Amino acid sequence: MPEFEEQAILLRASQGDQEAFGVLYENYVERIYNYVYYRTGNTHDAEDLTARVFFRAMHHIQTYTDRGVPFSAWLYRIAHNLIANWHRDRSRHQEIPLSDAPTLHYKGEPPEMALEQTQERDALLRLIRHLPAERQHLLILKFVEHMSNSEIGETMDRSEGAVKSLYHRTLLALRDELEEYDPGEKAGWLDLNA
Amino acid sequence: MGSKMKRISDASRGKIASMEHRLSGVLRPIKPRKEFVHGIAQRIRTKPQVAFVDRIANWHLIAILIAGLVSLTVFMAVLGRALLSLVGKKRTA
Repeated sequence: MPEFEEQAILLRASQGDQEAFGVLYENYVERIYNYVYYRTGNTHDAEDLTARVFFRAMHHIQTYTDRGVPFSAWLYRIAHNLIANWHRDRSRHQEIPLSDAPTLHYKGEPPEMALEQTQERDALLRLIRHLPAERQHLLILKFVEHMSNSEIGETMDRSEGAVKSLYHRTLLALRDELEEYDPGEKAGWLDLNA
Repeated sequence: MGSKMKRISDASRGKIASMEHRLSGVLRPIKPRKEFVHGIAQRIRTKPQVAFVDRIANWHLIAILIAGLVSLTVFMAVLGRALLSLVGKKRTA
């Protein structure tokens, strides 16, 4: 959607036009859902929190002011706050199972190999989920949304250079975490895809 | 010194490339369920009905409060009357 068009829709939505807010919802629902899914690790909570993000946004759209950052940044901020509350509420409980994570298909591979790859994938997702929120956000924008460093900078209110630097530090830290997580397999599965 | 720095830089570049490859295999866009997306879209576009339901829910609360107050008043009146009749009986005795 072109920026000027979005501005017009935003204006209408902030004046209480529900149809306009519906357009914004359809434009951003998948992005917010993906963000919430990778931050929580299960589809049930992803749906619940995504719905809450949009209802909260709809409730507060009148107070939204354009400060030169994309509208998505405002939605991500709401999502981040709701996820933080969700983590606080869940902190008393056990770690979330990844049983409902979408299955990747490894056609033509023996079942043991597919299982091994699923385990690797789960381990990596778990490590990502333990990163600071800002780094998780960066990885989601980079790999799920395929955003450039400058677009990520706009969304996260950082300079392009700062994003690039944070990205490199995050990947190196994640690599070190992976090696610590399973040092015996360092030469094995860690480089499976390399 | 320069070649050592270059080796370190190459090593970290290799690590980054390897991690990028792994992450691109793990972090993929996921489609939310269509029923979920449409359900929320419908709720967004029919907000007045939701507000109306909210208003009804508020009326329920108000009705419960009024009923509670009336019950309390009747109870107090009955209790007061019972006490008065007890005091009256004691005086006549």
